[in-house]
This record gives sequence, C-alpha cells and structure tokens, in this order.
Amino acid sequence: MISITGLRKSFGAATVLNGIDLEIRQGEVVSVLGSSGSGKSTLIRCINGLEKIDAGKITVDNFDVSKPRELAEARKRSGTVFQLFNLYPHMTAVQNVALAPVEVLKVPRKQAEAEARELLNSVGLSERADAYPSQLSGGQRQRVGICRALAMKPSYLLLDEVTSALDPEMTSEVLSILANLAKGGTTMVFVTHEIEFARSISSRIAFLDKGQLIADLPTEDFFSATGMALPRVAQFLSKMRKD
Amino acid sequence: MRYGDFTPFDIILLLQGLGVSLALFVSTTLIGLVIGTAWAVVRFYRVPVLMQLVTFVAELLKNSPVLVQLFLVFFGLPAFLKINVTPTEAAVITLSGNSAAFIYVIAVSAIESVGRDQIEAARVFGLTRWQILRRVIAPQATAFAIGPLTGLLVNQLQVTSLISVIGVMDLTKVGNILNLRTLKPFIVWTAVGLVYYLTAKLVTYAGARFEKRLRAHTAWKGL
Ligand SMILES: Nc1ncnc2c1ncn2[C@@H]1O[C@H](COP(=O)(O)OP(=O)(O)O)[C@@H](O)[C@H]1O
Ligand SMILES: [Mg+2]
Repeated sequence: MISITGLRKSFGAATVLNGIDLEIRQGEVVSVLGSSGSGKSTLIRCINGLEKIDAGKITVDNFDVSKPRELAEARKRSGTVFQLFNLYPHMTAVQNVALAPVEVLKVPRKQAEAEARELLNSVGLSERADAYPSQLSGGQRQRVGICRALAMKPSYLLLDEVTSALDPEMTSEVLSILANLAKGGTTMVFVTHEIEFARSISSRIAFLDKGQLIADLPTEDFFSATGMALPRVAQFLSKMRKD
Repeated sequence: MRYGDFTPFDIILLLQGLGVSLALFVSTTLIGLVIGTAWAVVRFYRVPVLMQLVTFVAELLKNSPVLVQLFLVFFGLPAFLKINVTPTEAAVITLSGNSAAFIYVIAVSAIESVGRDQIEAARVFGLTRWQILRRVIAPQATAFAIGPLTGLLVNQLQVTSLISVIGVMDLTKVGNILNLRTLKPFIVWTAVGLVYYLTAKLVTYAGARFEKRLRAHTAWKGL
C-alpha cells in the first residue's frame, strides 16, 4: 500500500501540495486528474522521492520515503514512467531496460537482458530491441520506458502524463499497453489528461485542485452526480470534454 | 666534414628528443587525467572542504604561467623544502598539475552536460550515485569531453617545450643544441616545428577516431 498523510510541499513561497491524504492499495488503479499546475507531477515526485517533502508522511509498503535508508526499499517497490521518457540515450532499448535489474537487483546481465527482450517483445518491440532511443519513435520510446519500469517488478507503477508528448496514434498504442497491465492487476497511480481512458481503467479517481485533493471517489461516483456536485470537478470535466 | 655540418646522427638526436617530449606528454597527460577526473568526482559528490580546495588549486594552476610554475617547482621547492628536484621530476610535477587543472574544467562541464532527466530516472530506479556516475554519466560525459580534451592536449604538447629551459633533453632542447652547432636556425627550427606539427596532427586524428566510436548512438541518421 502507498499511504500519504498530511503531505505538504512548497517551492519557496509557493505551496504546491497542501495537506494531501491518499491511499493506494494493491490492485487498484487510481487516476489523478486536475488542471495543469495543480500539483500532479509534484505528487508523483514526492512518492518516488525526487522531491523532499516539507510535512506529512509518505510510505510505500510501510517504507518511509523521507528516510534515506528506507527510500531505497520504497523505490524498489515502485516504478516510474515519465512524461518525456527520460531514457538513457547511450544505451539500446534492451540496455535501458536491463540497467536497473543488473545494478540494483544484481540480476546477472545475461538473464536481465533476456528478460528485457521478453518485456520488449510483449509490447511489440522485439524488432527494435537493439535500437538506440534516437532511432525510435515517441510511442516506441515510451513503450521502452514502460518496460524499464516493469523490469524492476514493481508493486506499483507511477505514471505521469505518459502520453501527453505523443500524437494520437502513438497515444493509443501506449494506452492499450496500460489497459492490458490494468487488466492484469498491476497497481497504478495514473496522472493523465485522457479522461475517457482514465474512466475506463480506474477503480478510483483522485482530483487535485490548487494543491488540495478535493475529490477521492470510486470512478462511477466521480463521473456521476457525486462528482458533478463539486463545482471544480464539473468545471474541469466540461472543459476537458470541449477540448 | 666540418663540425658545423648536419650528420645522419642528428636525426637520431631529434628522434631521441621527440621520445623525451612524447614520454613526458603521455605520462603527464595520464597523471593529469587521473587527478583532474578525481577532482571532478570530488565536485560531483560535493565533498565539503575538499571541493573548495580543489577549485582553489585548479584556479591557481589555470591562471598562472606554466613557466613560472616550473621555476617554482625546480628552483623554489629545493630552496624551501631542502629537497632535490631533478629537471625531469620538476617537468613531470608541473605539467601533470597543469594538465589536471584544465582536465578538471573539461570533466566538470562534461558531467554537467548530461541531462538531469535521465539522472532522475536512474535515481528512481534505485541506482546509487556511484552507479549513476559510472553507467549513465561517464559514457556520455566522455563522448562530450573528447573534443575539448583533444584541443587541450594539442596545446599541452606544445607546452612541453617549456621544460627545455631547465635542461630536460626534449625535442626543443635538441633543436637548441643542433642550432648552436650548425648555426642554421631556419633549417633546424623548421624541422623541429614540423615534428611537433605532425605529432599534434596525430593526437587530433586519434581524438576524432575515438569520439566517433563513442558517439555511435547518435551517428544514426534517418526517421
Ligand atoms: N522545481 C520547481 N520549482 C518551483 N516551482 C515548481 C517546481 N516544480 C513545480 N513547480 C510549481 O508547482 C506547481 C505544480 O506543478 P506540477 O506538480 O508540475 O503541476 P501539474 O503536474 O499538475 O501540472 C506549478 O505552479 C509549478 O510551477
Ligand atoms: Mg505535470
């Protein structure tokens, strides 16, 4: 379980996350929605320890991410997929995927690379396994990014707008992979602007507004009268649907 | 044959001089690489005190003439510490220190050239600082550094000629001897200059070859 209580985060004078409480249990897909600048990326970056939190507590399977010793354990349990892929440009797809298993989990290189190939195969990239990121399309790069996270066999996947740098065609190839993962029971924290997709795969929707979690509802409730009763949610949904 | 004529033996003398210059160049470059890179790693880890010390020393070495540093080591150290410093030792110490300072600058900017986003990715997957340095930063930083490094080394090769003034028998010193004997400065210094030129070209060529190999992943054109 990922447990967030009383999370507060500021950059200088600007408070970006203001008292967040959120729990993600094993097997859930929680989509995080909210307008741009509401703090969604910062929330993800607090969970994976890229940002130091100012107050509150975040634990991943009871490992406290604010404690350097426990952060390493917490990070082994969660895998992050980035908006701009963040691949290692000097490594092939296979090497990108195998790096962390070899270095962190001490899997023998041969075995790690064989497993990497299998993963790449499962997302339709068997042909491109030995290509460098610069030789791949955006959608292919993001599929490598997903494999890289899955290679660590994480209990939780953290995804931050993983399709927002992709065109519609590439978006759908990446989303179909995520839909399969969701069906397979992978736990996900899914930051997205793909409202309809979020609705189709999520068990719950968390809605961030100016650094506050103003809704945390089962998906059906969020998209029905309960959600619409919240002015900010109604506003957000109508705006997103118009675009 | 008169004393002042060129003899076939002079070629051997020149080659010996070149050998000394090259030996100094290669050894001080290697020492400079080790020290300069180590300093950059100190900075990467932000080791307190040591980091400020490194910056200070590098600044001193970069901003004073090599010849002055050479005199300080060769004449100053013996006078101050009452130790004996041979010309070769003085040359190795001075040139290594000087190369280290400039290599440090190149290494720091090479490390900083690697995108933050990849480093963040490596961090969230649990790689240690050292693993990130070795697997993610070093390969890319090396490719980035080869160009400036080649430029520096071509310059450092010429700088080795300064050590002739304290009596090391390098290529320039041999030129000096030949010049005094034959009194044909134009021929002697043209020959000496040509040997430096060809050696410098070789360094540049090797650098370019190495860089091309390291940049294999970006060489691909298409899409
Ligand atoms: N490193 C940072 N330094 C200063 N301000 C930041 C930093 N990162 C994010 N912010 C600010 O925090 C707010 C929330 O950003 P972010 O979490 O990226 O929002 P979202 O992902 O929901 O669009 C924004 O106003 C942004 O400008
Ligand atoms: Mg964002």
